[in-house]
Amino acid sequence: MAVARYLLGVTTALRSRNWFARRLRALVLPSILHFSLAACGGPSLPADWREEPGSNDLGWLLSTWAPADGPRYLVGGVSDEGRVATDAAGSFLRVAGVPAVPLLNWVHGFSASDVFVVGNRGTVLHFDGTAWTLQPTPTTEALWGIWGAAPDDVWAVGGGGSATAVATLLHYDGETWESVTLPSFQRPNVTALYKIWGTAADNVYAVGRSGVILHYQGTDWVEEASGTGDDLISLFGTGPNEIVVVGGRSNGRIVIWNGESWRTESLAPLPGLNGVFMRTRGVAHLVGVEGTIARLDLVAGTFREELPATTIDLHAVFGDSGGVLTAVGGNFTAAPGDEEGVALARVFGRNE
Amino acid sequence: MRSRRLLSASMALYVVVGCGSSERPALTPGIFAPLGDVMPRANEAQREVFTRGRALALRQVPISEGLGPLFNATFCLACHEKPVFGGSAAHYRDFLLVAFRDSDGSYVPRGVNGSGVQPQYLVSLRGRTADEDFINLGANRSASPFFGVGALAEVSDEEILRRSDPMDADGDGISGRPNFDRGFVGRFGRKAQSVGLEGFIRGQLASHVGVTSRPLSNASRLELPVQSGVLGTNESRSARAGVAGAQAAQAASPDEPTFDADAIPDPEIDEPELSALIAFVMLLAAPEPDAPTPDSARGERHFERSGCAACHTPALSGPGGLVPAYTDLLLHDMGPELADGIEQGVASGAEFRTQPLWGVVAVSPYLHDGRATTLDEAIRMHGGEATAARDAYNALDDAARNELLAFLASLGGNAARTDGLLPAGAPLLAAGQLGAPEAGLSQEAREQFRRGRAVFDRDARRDAGLGPRFNGDSCRACHSEPEIGGAGALDVDVIRHGTLLGGVFTAPTSGTVLHRHDTAGVRPMPEPGVNFFEPRQAPALFGLGRVDRIPDAALLALADPDDADLNGISGRAHLLPDGRVGRFGWKADAPSLAEFVRAELSVQAGLTVPAQAGLTFGAATDSDAFTDPEIDSTDIDDLVAFVAGLAAPEREPGGDPAREAIGEGLFNDVGCAACHVPVLRTHEGLEVRAYSDFLLHDVALPLAGGVAQGMASLREFRTAPLWGLRASAPYMHHGRSESVLDAIGAHASEADAARLAFVALTPSEQGALLQFLASL
Repeated sequence: MAVARYLLGVTTALRSRNWFARRLRALVLPSILHFSLAACGGPSLPADWREEPGSNDLGWLLSTWAPADGPRYLVGGVSDEGRVATDAAGSFLRVAGVPAVPLLNWVHGFSASDVFVVGNRGTVLHFDGTAWTLQPTPTTEALWGIWGAAPDDVWAVGGGGSATAVATLLHYDGETWESVTLPSFQRPNVTALYKIWGTAADNVYAVGRSGVILHYQGTDWVEEASGTGDDLISLFGTGPNEIVVVGGRSNGRIVIWNGESWRTESLAPLPGLNGVFMRTRGVAHLVGVEGTIARLDLVAGTFREELPATTIDLHAVFGDSGGVLTAVGGNFTAAPGDEEGVALARVFGRNE
Repeated sequence: MRSRRLLSASMALYVVVGCGSSERPALTPGIFAPLGDVMPRANEAQREVFTRGRALALRQVPISEGLGPLFNATFCLACHEKPVFGGSAAHYRDFLLVAFRDSDGSYVPRGVNGSGVQPQYLVSLRGRTADEDFINLGANRSASPFFGVGALAEVSDEEILRRSDPMDADGDGISGRPNFDRGFVGRFGRKAQSVGLEGFIRGQLASHVGVTSRPLSNASRLELPVQSGVLGTNESRSARAGVAGAQAAQAASPDEPTFDADAIPDPEIDEPELSALIAFVMLLAAPEPDAPTPDSARGERHFERSGCAACHTPALSGPGGLVPAYTDLLLHDMGPELADGIEQGVASGAEFRTQPLWGVVAVSPYLHDGRATTLDEAIRMHGGEATAARDAYNALDDAARNELLAFLASLGGNAARTDGLLPAGAPLLAAGQLGAPEAGLSQEAREQFRRGRAVFDRDARRDAGLGPRFNGDSCRACHSEPEIGGAGALDVDVIRHGTLLGGVFTAPTSGTVLHRHDTAGVRPMPEPGVNFFEPRQAPALFGLGRVDRIPDAALLALADPDDADLNGISGRAHLLPDGRVGRFGWKADAPSLAEFVRAELSVQAGLTVPAQAGLTFGAATDSDAFTDPEIDSTDIDDLVAFVAGLAAPEREPGGDPAREAIGEGLFNDVGCAACHVPVLRTHEGLEVRAYSDFLLHDVALPLAGGVAQGMASLREFRTAPLWGLRASAPYMHHGRSESVLDAIGAHASEADAARLAFVALTPSEQGALLQFLASL
């Protein structure tokens, strides 16, 4: 009622006032709908983030994932050398036996004995619980994301930031990787798809450069209206009716699917966002550049920035079944030889 | 005197900012100096890096060192030259921002790597970038001055934010809000889209020069002379994060690409050079305000009462005192009057950062797109949140308006005002220097030379006939290297174009010049079917007066169109239909300097010319609304006199005359001199050591296309004069030969024999020949 009364007041003002009233409308009305920075004094944040031992010796860290009741994987490396690490005995240690590959960008798995990792120059690695193998792919584009509904139904996406790069979508049927033809984009500059994620074999989304969102419904890929031209870097959700896409470069951008439509908002002054994870409906954990960590409350329409422990760019966040939320990142524009990474972790709080 | 001026300004500001404290706020010391100077507070080491950075900013980046592959400028200060380096630029340095807005509201910047910047040039022989699809938004941008930006970088986020009033809580009709960049308050750029000078400069390097860079290391950032104001307060994000030092100081270095598509290894500028460039910009002094006069003091009161100061905040507090830039660094909605649809950060298509006013009088044109030629126009063009202030200005009487303008003129830079780039009263260059008048001119002729130089340098006003399509708004725009009257860099190349099918060239109905600019703020587009583009460099004009006075008969005597002497060289004169002999331009299509000047005024600047007896070149009318002719015959006569009076480049022997003599002999022996005729004579018998026969020759590579012009075929070019070669790199009509050696290698067809003979020389002989050429 209060909101309705407020809106009525604003509307009256719009009818009666001049240019400034129109300006007010532009500013005020959206602000009622927009996410806002949560005020101080709300519920206290969960435990502080702490740096994970051994995580800063691995070069850049771009992704983390863990199987149920299994160790966390960290993947990344340096420009020309991909690295994989897992946590053991209280510290992260590099995994032996990984073939020589370039920088690794994303990890996804189905179990401790069925793990996929993708990276630059079309790299796909697979771990079967015993050995790591390099799987042939039909592309040399960098692969940025991988997700599958089943071990024989896996998707990978890639591309690059240059004008000559090509947005890439691959599918794995359990035996071979094949290129998938993408639709003609309705917007320019779509030279990369950055992440892919879904809730079922026939409900998969890919996001990428220039605000592109593609949806797979089991038959073909269709471009959806995201409402933004900002680069969209990652996505996650709690189900088919709640998906959060994050991106932006200078300023944070979110695009939310509520089961019926997409809604987009800028989260400025929150900086650009690279990673998102959701465990509980209505709560999204966000990470981004300049050490940004934030928690988005979809119900209250607020976000709360968590005090970063670093100004290094964070690239991914993942919550494991043990109740630990892990964020990883690196100084991604550093010169070769100066690569640094970081993994931060905290336990989930209540209702997260 | 300076301290009195500053003290006076400080007192005035004390009133305006209305501090509650009884302590008088002081201006930040050590930041004010004449435009283009280093901040007086700079220490010796900083002055050294300022000098080094300035030299880097002035250095033309060769293609072989990373220019391009797409570019608008070949060096940083190309677009920051007015009235002195570090400032703004005339319209010929304007650029376009382009974007695509989808039906769902998605805004996708186009241009260089999705930066929004429309590139004009390609390093390839095509010269002109292709016209992208998916562009439905475009807006003109005029270059912003850098004076005093180091002081703005020091202003804290909180100082900017405390003036933010996005909901207009104070009810004054003005609702400024900040832009953001990676969590910090933006402050640089027309939309305050960048928080750090490092990021801003890296962005301009990548988008306009095509030079890739890496973000500075934290160690290098700590060495910069200015630390960013985002540090050090309880409210700033960096402080909340508990992060100190350089990591956050230049944190907002945007994601400018660290790579590009050319073959030059990235990054194309190294860290020390990038640091020096940034330090140079940071240390550019703030414009020193003038002492108030009765008029300017009254004007200041009009400024306040009219409401201008509500956004043009007289001073922000910096760490060392007040920073009187007359900006709040916030975004304001300027309404449909100025909206251009371009979004950057959180700024909408109608929002712009309040432009600083210090030094404003010296950096016309005004507003984000340069649409205003004068400050009076600029004020009258304000809209949106500034409507009330604009109306208050309009309601002033003439005297009060002039007082307000006098106040604006007192905010620094007035002494540097110029109609072009030459300072008022600039002396003529001394004999022997490129750009000097010919020796022996009468006093009257020298005066006309001086007047002509001023016309040559003067920027044609947009409100007086520039355009509608144009490449330069002055002659100097494309003829200033190394001095006024000289050559042009690759970033002012003229693009010729047409349709080339089966070896047959067809010129577009609008002519073969495809302009870079249109006063409507759109990119001039080629006609349908056009498939061939050719860049042409602006050649140096030194010595052309003597060329003008070579008798037609002397040139015709050198012609051998059918190669009757069987030497493989068949130069022919460019005979105009009326029988005159062409000799000026890459295709020798202009028969006299007077005709050449008239043609260039019309073609390159879009200025219509008056009828002049015996002259046929130049356009008498055009499609703009300004009364024709747009330049009068007196100015044209002075211009012609200036160009005709430019002394020919003098031979500059090196340290080894014997070796140069050997080179000169080889020049003749290998056959260069067959076309590059060393000496011709004027009517009066004066020597013209241009090393040209001014005839057309086919020296194109096999299968090369080209643009036909007049009677010159697509493969024919006039023999380029070689005098002044040492100061006119890069070479050939397309400028893709960076050295004389490259240029020799680019000769073909009629020049094949000479080129092969050169290749057959020993390295020592080649060196001697090159040394001879360098001495011309």
